[in-house]
Amino acid sequence: MARSGPLEAFLAREPQTRYFRLMDDTLHPALLPHGLRDILPPDARIEADTVERLMAILGHHGYDRVKPPLVEFESSLLDGPGAAMTHETFRLMDPISHRMIAVRADMTLQIARIATTRLVKSPRPLRLSYAGQVLRVRGSQLRPERQVGQVGAELIGSAAPEADAEVVALAAEALNAIGVPGLSVDLTLPVLVPVILQALGVEGRAAEQLRAALDRKDAASIAAIGGPSAEMLGGLMAAAGPADRTLAAIKAIALPDGAQAQVAALTEIVRLIRERAPDLMLTIDPVENRGFEYHTGVSFTIFARNIRGELGRGGRYVAGGHQTEDGYAKRAAPEPQPSTGFTLYSDTVLRALKFGPQPPRVLLPHGTDHATGVELRAAGWITVAGLEPVADDVAEAGRLACSHVLIDGKPTEV
Amino acid sequence: MRGNETLVLALPKGRILKQVVPMLARTGVEIEPEFDDENSRQLRFKTNIAGLDVIRVRNFDVATFVAFGAAHLGIAGNDVLMEFAYPEIYAPLDLKVGQCHMSVAGPPHLLATDEPTRWSHVRVATKYPEITKRYFATRGVQAECIKLNGAMELAPLLGLCKRIVDLVQTGSTLKANGLVEIERIAEISSRLIVNRPALKTRPDEIGEWIRRFEAAVDDAA
Repeated sequence: MARSGPLEAFLAREPQTRYFRLMDDTLHPALLPHGLRDILPPDARIEADTVERLMAILGHHGYDRVKPPLVEFESSLLDGPGAAMTHETFRLMDPISHRMIAVRADMTLQIARIATTRLVKSPRPLRLSYAGQVLRVRGSQLRPERQVGQVGAELIGSAAPEADAEVVALAAEALNAIGVPGLSVDLTLPVLVPVILQALGVEGRAAEQLRAALDRKDAASIAAIGGPSAEMLGGLMAAAGPADRTLAAIKAIALPDGAQAQVAALTEIVRLIRERAPDLMLTIDPVENRGFEYHTGVSFTIFARNIRGELGRGGRYVAGGHQTEDGYAKRAAPEPQPSTGFTLYSDTVLRALKFGPQPPRVLLPHGTDHATGVELRAAGWITVAGLEPVADDVAEAGRLACSHVLIDGKPTEV
Repeated sequence: MRGNETLVLALPKGRILKQVVPMLARTGVEIEPEFDDENSRQLRFKTNIAGLDVIRVRNFDVATFVAFGAAHLGIAGNDVLMEFAYPEIYAPLDLKVGQCHMSVAGPPHLLATDEPTRWSHVRVATKYPEITKRYFATRGVQAECIKLNGAMELAPLLGLCKRIVDLVQTGSTLKANGLVEIERIAEISSRLIVNRPALKTRPDEIGEWIRRFEAAVDDAA
């Protein structure tokens, strides 16, 4: 037997080589890239159930489900209002078209695209719903997840205050129905502050600094750098709180004309939401702007008491209407359409849910006839079939995390 | 995970705490006696008000607890708030305590010979790398930050770097170490901070606390 050829020498070295390779890049097979995770039982089932229950409620309100693709051409996904997501979007080169394609970081804009292109001839108002996963380059400090599930509804082609009230009430109804306690909706007017700043002639860097201070509710900075707008902005900021109190406080402030009209619209929408959802807790924050960059009217954020982060957000925007540059010629823009809608984030929604006990799970020992299983499943049981005979069915049921075992044709608690 | 129903107020350990406790007393809050015992290992304390607890943590951690909603209210300097820029923190009230400023400092000969317009890169020792980077970036200079957790003044002395960015109260520490203030970056004071979802979902309770602190600040003035 030759023991010293080059092949033998290599084989003798091989185990060590592999060992050191593992040590070198220390990539454990279970390690996932930052912000990504496996969802295991029972969470994966609960998440899927929750999404379907939410979608069913949206469906009952006439919101028809659409399913846009995961990736699109960068030029259409990040066009117009989509530009706000530029830094959050993963891109790759499409080897077929040799153009940049982008993975969606948000689904709202895909729905707006569908509404203003393929469904442009569908009657208005158009109600669409969707559920899917989005991917972001960076999570936020509070939501480090880079892949997040979204569930949402968009109401396209109506400027009526009833449309604004409908989407807020619908989001609340859906979350109530799946059992989120302590729901609270914070309404805001993202264009109020810009209108005020414009009316007072504050612009450029000064306006930016003021917006940043308002985002942090930094009363000291507003007073220090607000100049002519300090009193009005300070007053608006202090007014934030429960809806009725805030509306009364805002009305006591002498706002410019454009701002008055917005407050009137908000007042009407609050009334209409109350009609539809009398028990919903409503707050108003007249200066909130963060994350509402492409919104053009009443917008909202959904919270639940003692839950970290937002459950969802939504508001009024304009679908279509911007010109698209496709590299060859500017296409005529579709008619701009007043729209509103909301997106729920499934991770936060799940965090807010209280879970009941697991459904009962019964072990069907080896040899149980097929019909028994069919009957039990029809009655709501989860059945786990024994594939081989075992000595102790009760112990086997315990090992496989079954709450029950079938004894004499009856599920018996373990 | 669900948060606490009991409101939690996070207070910073150290220098600011001495000024904060009398202010708390003016808002009607008295903390259990264990709080004053510096050797106590207890971290969470009851108050005379049912439904309000107090925790004592490092000043940087006050912001973290409040940002994540583990504490609903807190007291933190705007140096900490600027460094972290947590989107979930509101800072609705200047408590007008713990006043100082954040400055760039260095040895006096630097001030005399340096020509800031020629800088493209500076090396700075600081506890505030984010603020420092942003500050120098606004003037087109890249700042390489050496993160230290204290005794910043040693860095120029021992040749770690020429400049530091740190809080300056009276300037006596700088002077004692042969450094001078070169530029002021920001005025610093302690702020009442609030977790954003807490303010949205419990506006009456949290709003009441903001008003109480406001009254306590006005009393002091």
